[in-house]
Amino acid sequence: MSRRRSPGQVLGRVGLVLLALPALAAVFAPLVARHSPQRPSGRPLLKPSLGHPLGTDDLGVDIFSQLVYGSRISLAIGLGAAVLAIVVGVLVAVLAGWRRGWVETVLMRLTDVTLAFPFLPLVLVLAAFFGRGLLVTAIVIGAVSWARPARVLWAQVLKLREYPHVQAARAMGATGSRCIVRHILTRLIPVTSAQFVRVANAAIISEAALAFLGLGDPNHASWGMMLANASSNNALLTGAWKWWMVPPGLALTVVVLGFAFTGYASEEWADPRLASPTGRLRFLGRRRRRPAPAPQTAAGAPATGPILSVKDLVVHYDRHGPAVVKGVGFDAPRERVTALVGESGSGKSTIVLALLGLLPGDPLVKGGATFEGRKLLSAAAAARVRGRKIGFVTQAAMNALNPAYTIHFQVAEAAALTMPIGEARRRAGELLENVGLPAEDHGAYPHELSGGMRQRVVIAMALANRPDLLIADEPTTGLDLVTQASILKLLGDLKDQLGLTVLLITHDVQMVLRVADELVILQDGCVVEQGSVATVAADPQQEYTRRLLNTRLSPLAVKV
Amino acid sequence: MTRLLEVQHAHKTFCTGAGARRRRVVALDDVSLSVGEGEIVALVGESGSGKSTLGRAVVGLERLDAGKAMFDAVEYAHMSERAMRKLRPQMHLVLQDPYQSLHPGMRVATAIAEPLEIAGTGNAKSPKVAAALEEVGLTPAGTFLDRYPHQLSGGQRQRVVLARALVGRPRLVVADEPTSMVDATLRAGIVALIRRLRDRFGIAFLVITHDLDMAAAVAEEVAVMQKGRLVECGPTPKVFAAPSDEYTRTLLKAAAEVGRLDVAD
Repeated sequence: MSRRRSPGQVLGRVGLVLLALPALAAVFAPLVARHSPQRPSGRPLLKPSLGHPLGTDDLGVDIFSQLVYGSRISLAIGLGAAVLAIVVGVLVAVLAGWRRGWVETVLMRLTDVTLAFPFLPLVLVLAAFFGRGLLVTAIVIGAVSWARPARVLWAQVLKLREYPHVQAARAMGATGSRCIVRHILTRLIPVTSAQFVRVANAAIISEAALAFLGLGDPNHASWGMMLANASSNNALLTGAWKWWMVPPGLALTVVVLGFAFTGYASEEWADPRLASPTGRLRFLGRRRRRPAPAPQTAAGAPATGPILSVKDLVVHYDRHGPAVVKGVGFDAPRERVTALVGESGSGKSTIVLALLGLLPGDPLVKGGATFEGRKLLSAAAAARVRGRKIGFVTQAAMNALNPAYTIHFQVAEAAALTMPIGEARRRAGELLENVGLPAEDHGAYPHELSGGMRQRVVIAMALANRPDLLIADEPTTGLDLVTQASILKLLGDLKDQLGLTVLLITHDVQMVLRVADELVILQDGCVVEQGSVATVAADPQQEYTRRLLNTRLSPLAVKV
Repeated sequence: MTRLLEVQHAHKTFCTGAGARRRRVVALDDVSLSVGEGEIVALVGESGSGKSTLGRAVVGLERLDAGKAMFDAVEYAHMSERAMRKLRPQMHLVLQDPYQSLHPGMRVATAIAEPLEIAGTGNAKSPKVAAALEEVGLTPAGTFLDRYPHQLSGGQRQRVVLARALVGRPRLVVADEPTSMVDATLRAGIVALIRRLRDRFGIAFLVITHDLDMAAAVAEEVAVMQKGRLVECGPTPKVFAAPSDEYTRTLLKAAAEVGRLDVAD
């Protein structure tokens, strides 16, 4: 099984290799460097030679040895400061986020104050005040760097504490400390590791800056100190910069890049969902090839021809992966509601994303699809009609409205794609009325509306540019029955009033029987049955269709 | 006669927004409800009707402003968190979203063992964990114990959540929308499982749902909530056949419109 690594992971590996160089140098310094990094081992200011690969400094100390031993200082300062900053940051974040109340107020204001200080001047003042030891430098840098991780992690804790698995644990009677250790800290690891790398990086640069400014530990030649020494001995004028300034500068660059690249990937590495290979196996298993795709026949097309026509569509998520959609063909007849029905994993959303050129990554799409007689499948062709001739209501889009703007503004913004802003504003008001939102709600922000009302807003946005085709992916999921009924009715009404063609994607065929005209039943990326609702629902030919139709739980009947 | 769970005259108000937009939302307004030992009661209503708040209050995640909640004749609505901890193993909460109800970094066995670990009666290696998996139909249990949640389908995850609910043998499980996020074809399996767990272990269920056919299929009693008030409560067949409240009729009509219930002439 070939598994392509994400660009982030490739960078992460490069980062690890870059970090391995200074790490090895630090560990094996006595073996690599033949001279002492502190005591003179030759005449001052020697040029590079076999005995002194990078020459000697103004006191006759071997520069190569200083470079090798300098990696110990840089890494120690970086890791030391990062450990300190992260421990403090995590403690502050968890205490503030979990306890809330005055603890949170005090800790987070303290964090804000620390963040408000300019970093380098603060470090300079503290370093000048507390002295020039290595340990002091690490502590000073750590003591200044905890605030950003604290703030980032605090936001995570606030989010995580409301997660269902944390709520469930609390309901089971778990103590606060158990919730924090088992449920919060374990999920903070990805973000924490990224923050750790970031602080380590900043610490190494800060130490170099401090040393360069004369606040380093004079007993240990760090890379920053080497640069400072070289600079004060006019290395730039004598040509000695080539072996005296470039190597420590390069070494700093290597370490900083190494940490930065590792930081990109550490979040991915720390997440079991991305690390475990069996996740991929199930993915393959679910999309196993079926023996024989059922024969496909185009549903009786009206005289004008279908608005959307799909033939032999095959989709692979990536070029080497298995097909997720395996030769699907169907038509969406004009001014009808066509429902694409299947269980999760049947490929129904993938089909739509492929048609609209919205598949993530580097997918392989084969087959043909035409919209109004023009080819659709290329990204450029899809971009021309998307949001204009084809309106798209994505899955759970109602939760993706921008919380910072009123709904009227957001609908107007969608309409402004094809019309001047003044007209778009008028149109937005009209659209919101069309989908059943009264004028007094137009100035509302998304969080002030119920799920059903937000779904109406999303539908209004999809209709903004007078599309001919509206595609709605699970538009009723997450809504209660009364709202589901009203959203389905809205889609049916819009079809009648605006002469719209609707392509509806759902896992629940029962739900769409009243609103849909045509059914396309999908299983494992293949069409198993299609036709008008009347024929398919009354006399399903496939066992799978019967199973989908037979999801009613109770034989009870109601009088309406 | 006291019932297993009795909620009496529960009140709960939330404040939302800030400044001029600040307003009070009455989530529970004088709600009384009871669940008998080994009984399945469905709580139905639209979103925002307060049914989830009531469920959270029952398991002690939400504190009532006023009113009583009694579990086995012990009043606990105003108990301290520490005193409440003794009661907690007897109740369990199952949440709507099977994707978020399980810690993504915890293996199935560890997740199921959590109630045992909290009560100090077992851990991930206990035979009880494997037995619980078998009970919910994830067999052979050995093939599931070491998986992570992302390696399971939505329906399987909801079964794991139910296995976690039964492993500590609670007397009451509050299930908040247990089927709303699983495929339509899998709902029947979850309903059958809830009934089976009740029959085998005598666990009482308070099932919170907006699906009226789910309520009809699973529960002996139905309680209907609207805007924080309990508008109707009674045996399932009676409420469905002859609803006494106008709002219940609206809900039933909506269920018929989306094809969940048959329409009788």
